[in-house]
Amino acid sequence: MVFIFTAISCSKDFLEPQPTSAVSEEGYFKTDEELESGILNMYDGIQGTNDRSTSSNHSIQYEFYVTEMRTDNTRGKGAVDSDADQAQFVNYNIRATNGIVADYYRSMYNIIYRANVLLDNLGVASDANRARFEGEAKFVRAYAYFNLVRLYGDVPLVDKVIAPLDTEISYTRIESSIIYDFIEEDLLSAVANLGDGYKNRASKAAAEALLAKVYLTIGEYSQAQTLCESIMKPARGFSLESNFKDVFYNEGNDEVIFAVGYEPDLIKDSQGFSSEWLNAVGYTAGVNYVTKEMRDAFDQYGGDRTLYSIRQDVIQPSEYQVAKYIPNGDENLGIAPIASDPRLAGNDWIVLRYADVLLMHVEAILAGAEATTSSNAIASFQEVRNRAGITTTVATITKEDLLNERRVELAFENQRFFDLLRLGEAQNVLSAYATENGYNFTSTTLLLPIPSSEINLSKGLLEQNPGY
Amino acid sequence: MLYKKIFVNHWANLMPLFLVAMVYSCEENILPLEGSIEDLTLPEANFDFSESNNDYLTYSFSNLSSSATDFIWDFGDGNTSTENEPEHTFSQEGDFEVSLTASDKLGVESVQTKSISVKEPEGPVIFIPEILEAGFEAGTLEGGAGDGNDAWAIAGANNIGLSTSVVRTGDQAARIYMGAESVAYQELTVTPNADYRITLYYTLASAPAGGHIRLAVLGNTIEDASEAEDAIIASVLGDDQTSTFDYTKLTLLFNPGASDTVAIWLDSNNIAEGRVDDIMIEHVE
Repeated sequence: MVFIFTAISCSKDFLEPQPTSAVSEEGYFKTDEELESGILNMYDGIQGTNDRSTSSNHSIQYEFYVTEMRTDNTRGKGAVDSDADQAQFVNYNIRATNGIVADYYRSMYNIIYRANVLLDNLGVASDANRARFEGEAKFVRAYAYFNLVRLYGDVPLVDKVIAPLDTEISYTRIESSIIYDFIEEDLLSAVANLGDGYKNRASKAAAEALLAKVYLTIGEYSQAQTLCESIMKPARGFSLESNFKDVFYNEGNDEVIFAVGYEPDLIKDSQGFSSEWLNAVGYTAGVNYVTKEMRDAFDQYGGDRTLYSIRQDVIQPSEYQVAKYIPNGDENLGIAPIASDPRLAGNDWIVLRYADVLLMHVEAILAGAEATTSSNAIASFQEVRNRAGITTTVATITKEDLLNERRVELAFENQRFFDLLRLGEAQNVLSAYATENGYNFTSTTLLLPIPSSEINLSKGLLEQNPGY
Repeated sequence: MLYKKIFVNHWANLMPLFLVAMVYSCEENILPLEGSIEDLTLPEANFDFSESNNDYLTYSFSNLSSSATDFIWDFGDGNTSTENEPEHTFSQEGDFEVSLTASDKLGVESVQTKSISVKEPEGPVIFIPEILEAGFEAGTLEGGAGDGNDAWAIAGANNIGLSTSVVRTGDQAARIYMGAESVAYQELTVTPNADYRITLYYTLASAPAGGHIRLAVLGNTIEDASEAEDAIIASVLGDDQTSTFDYTKLTLLFNPGASDTVAIWLDSNNIAEGRVDDIMIEHVE
């Protein structure tokens, strides 16, 4: 019944799967069709819930709080010393009791749970589909762990469906290096088991691109380069959109490698972040607003990208908003409204795109050095700049050049925080930014706290990160 | 009035008792104050450090200590700091034992020591491979061995020939026969992503017209000549037939990408007789 509804109401690859809570797992997955709905259920977990309930898993709809708002790209409009959950990310006074920190943690483990349910039931899959099911589930699980390990550090490693009383697994923090080994193994399996084609679901290219980023994070540069070059082969069919605007307003384009799909006006399949980034269109007065530092960066390095990245707030002209995921249209920019209710926005959330792969290629060749003159690196770097209308060529690319380019190309796509961490510049850049703006940055803020709710449930088994 | 008097007397009575209690607690110093609990979260010192972007002598320190309020950094070079997260510039290269002492307001201390090796980073070293029998001379391989083309052989094709006539330098050059379909192949170790230039000199007989040689780089090693075409990552044709005897320079730029092994490939379209001599490779800045 639910399935029929899905088929009619959706134009996307996936939307609303069968509810898991109402179905007992044992005996649930008996056929490929049921496993398929289990697959959709994983992506539903990544989508998150578009509501205001503090007990819902908002998943990546709240991701900008724990990533972009912690950088020099965006901020809230409230007082510098505000103690509101949202403001804590801006002024770096994040508390272990922060509800958004707990929401994101819970959401990622919920996604992992959904993937584990599927992997535990692979035995019933037909031979024709088993590899694909396994590949998709492992991609999704690796994606969630990669987010967790970068944001929280050492985290519990749950690799199967566990009982609620299995507290040893739930509450034992495992060393990051082991989490990374696990992620690598899952993604290698996904690369081997998946083909290309999907953009709102896992694909071979998505697994390769995510694994390339994992390798860059742990310093395996040569392997990252090989993966990027695999995606860059013309036969794979990925390329930059000639017009930057189309990356975001022509969904499913050739530049997108993996995006989380949303459908407008459907409470269950829409997203709320687009409206929150506007002036009191969402439930907040406006969050994820563009910093002065970010506007300066666009003035220097933005080129054609600036127009479709930031725009002046017409209600508060001193403020600037993100222009990449506007839900209610902008006549001046030629952007049509995507939803009749902006709070039920349908703008997809792009996780991986081709420009990111090209810049990862540069980063792989840079290989931890301060600069490179390699023609291979310059070719990829220039391809991204050319699209932005910056056609002056460079002879050398420094780490700083790369960070600046990534900052404006991938602005507000929740990349900046991880870029700064990966390239070893987080403490330098963010402490200077914090001093300038009266925020209270210390290096321990680079890891989020383990949610105090989890620590309480663990009866002290879970240890807190330093500084909290 | 009465009330006040009673009050005063009351304190006078209590005073000796109070004093005794104070003295007792000072001497023993182990009995906790009434209602206090043991401090279970003792300071734990921990830190990390990272080298500055532009200056290898400057390090920034991140303080990862827990349950501590006061910090003393000792950089191991005679300098100290009480900042939470200091930045420090060492005066010279060397190994330094940096310690952080973290303490709380109860005076409990914890010390963490890490060693930092301050060293000027080396620039990237680009490996320049040696091309064997680069001038196709005899006796240039290890131990004086080799005819001049032994390092250039590959299964599945005729090895390139040798000639002592029309030579650019030395006694021999490689000879391209008309119709011989001979090729030259040699594997090279290179630095990934570095830009290289291969240079050689060639000459082609002025007739028959339409002849050319081809210099190529294969992105990976091959087992059989039939695999060469698919492995080419860069190539250039030499088709100058203006003089049978004068050599022409031919250059080819390539970048090996992620690979650390490439191969030089040389063949022709088997129309005109030719010579190749003095192949060299260099890094392009």
